[in-house]
Amino acid sequence: MTKLQRIKSFIFGLFMMFGGVLIIAIGSDAASIIMDLLTISLILNGIKTIIYYSRMARFMVGGDQVLIRGLILLDLGAFTGTLYNISHIYIVGYLVGIHAFGGVIDVMHALEAKRLASPSWKFNLFSGIINIILAVTCLVFLRSTTIAVYIYGVGLIYSAFVRIITAFRKTAVVYITPS
Amino acid sequence: MQEDFHYYATYCAAILAGYTHEQSMDICYSAQLVDMCSRTFLIKIKAPLSAATTQLQLEMMDARTDPVGLQDITRIWVSFHFLPADLNAKVRKGAGRLYKSKYRLICNTNSELLVNTVTLANGNGLQAAGIAMHILADTWAHRYFAGTPSLVINNTNYYFYEQIANENGEYKDIPISFRHSTSVPDDLENHKYTNSLFQSSESSIMNLGHGRAGHLPDYSFIRYKYLPAWGDYEEIIKDNPSDFYHAFCQMIYAMQYLHGDISKFMINTYAWNTAKPYEDEIKAIIKKRQLNAAADWKAFGERLSGKEIEPFDLSKYESEYIDAEKDNKNETFLGKFILAAMAQKSMVTNKIFLSGNLLAGYSIDFNEKGFAGIKDYKMLVEYLQQHRTKTT
Repeated sequence: MTKLQRIKSFIFGLFMMFGGVLIIAIGSDAASIIMDLLTISLILNGIKTIIYYSRMARFMVGGDQVLIRGLILLDLGAFTGTLYNISHIYIVGYLVGIHAFGGVIDVMHALEAKRLASPSWKFNLFSGIINIILAVTCLVFLRSTTIAVYIYGVGLIYSAFVRIITAFRKTAVVYITPS
Repeated sequence: MQEDFHYYATYCAAILAGYTHEQSMDICYSAQLVDMCSRTFLIKIKAPLSAATTQLQLEMMDARTDPVGLQDITRIWVSFHFLPADLNAKVRKGAGRLYKSKYRLICNTNSELLVNTVTLANGNGLQAAGIAMHILADTWAHRYFAGTPSLVINNTNYYFYEQIANENGEYKDIPISFRHSTSVPDDLENHKYTNSLFQSSESSIMNLGHGRAGHLPDYSFIRYKYLPAWGDYEEIIKDNPSDFYHAFCQMIYAMQYLHGDISKFMINTYAWNTAKPYEDEIKAIIKKRQLNAAADWKAFGERLSGKEIEPFDLSKYESEYIDAEKDNKNETFLGKFILAAMAQKSMVTNKIFLSGNLLAGYSIDFNEKGFAGIKDYKMLVEYLQQHRTKTT
């Protein structure tokens, strides 16, 4: 990781943490902010994909598909931005999907890790259970926008922590010149 | 390549290069261990995790694909399985820096890094020799793919044909169909093979190495043609029987050098004459259509040495390492393997870093800047310092 990447990762982590805390503090009214975030994220992804095409994928066999994907993402983002007063059920559905899928994958990893006698199985199982609990909580409180917003906020804070920790990890490999 | 080549064929090459049965067993064990020495294994024996020479499927699913995670993945796969051919290769105009960096990690045979690898192993024990033989052999099997996750380099498409020779020696193209079920073995009769799922994300772990081409690069008998993602729509014909025979003869030559019979290791040099008396037999094993040629190589190796080749057992040296006192671990079989693996990883990372490519991470020259960075490498530094003190 270059110094610039570390600084970027750290600052982005701080922003994410701030965003997470802010969303939790605002509560149910933050639903529209979350929708705006989804819109921005789709548009940025579209732009990123088009840049990826121009710098890398146009040299790849079949790379034109990447350009089409970028344009579709951009269009989808613009479309999402035009939706007003959308039901919070979409946000809850998004959260249930993300956490349930993540949870099942984590539990599968844990079972495989245990079979291979790796100590990491406990952490994987713990993470899987937490994810599944979050998915179930979303379903139980399907009508509560506040709970959905809290879960989104907590997810954002967790991702921020991971980014900040990554920014401080030691990564260089030592080399001794043969004599 | 698989156990049949890395373990049994490496044993045969070592015997032909002049090593004893016992030495050849240590070399082929180390060569095969490169495919088994994962972080899960290292955790089990309480060894430094930076010595990992491979990643289990499970570990790869867990692996992060942020810059640090990608560097870690790249260090492992580039150093031991996809040795880059040309770190300064010319790249088409207009390509971004990241594309250039990935393109320059494409693996191929007879590179400067191969010379560095074999030379580094010289005088560093049988474990280092085994590691070098694994890397050398893989440059033949894995050529044209890169040891870093990359869609634009490693992807393949529907244009994939197996070439089967008729009685006149003419090749007929038969379409290959791929599926993604890892639990079903490859169906040689119907040309149905397993590959990794298409993932549109550039740095998806599914786009690492030859995953998109399945196990085809690892089968010695197969000849196939396809369009590599990086190749500007020019097809590649991969002739594995020829490549595997080259690999075998280059291994013999490299081990003759490591054995002390040759003073300098050079690229594009093969021990054709040493293999000549057995050429028909070796080529027959290589060309036989089978998923695993271990039994044939084993029988050939046992005829060569007159000794039994015991099957590979991952737990063979575990207790020796676990039970050793902290100060003596480096003198155990696994301790020597770990040091050799870390030295190889450190060397390859350094060469890639010095070429201006950051995909394998940062490298700090100890002689210039002292110790910094990943703590695991401290043991390598201490060992090399002790080793140098003893020899001077």
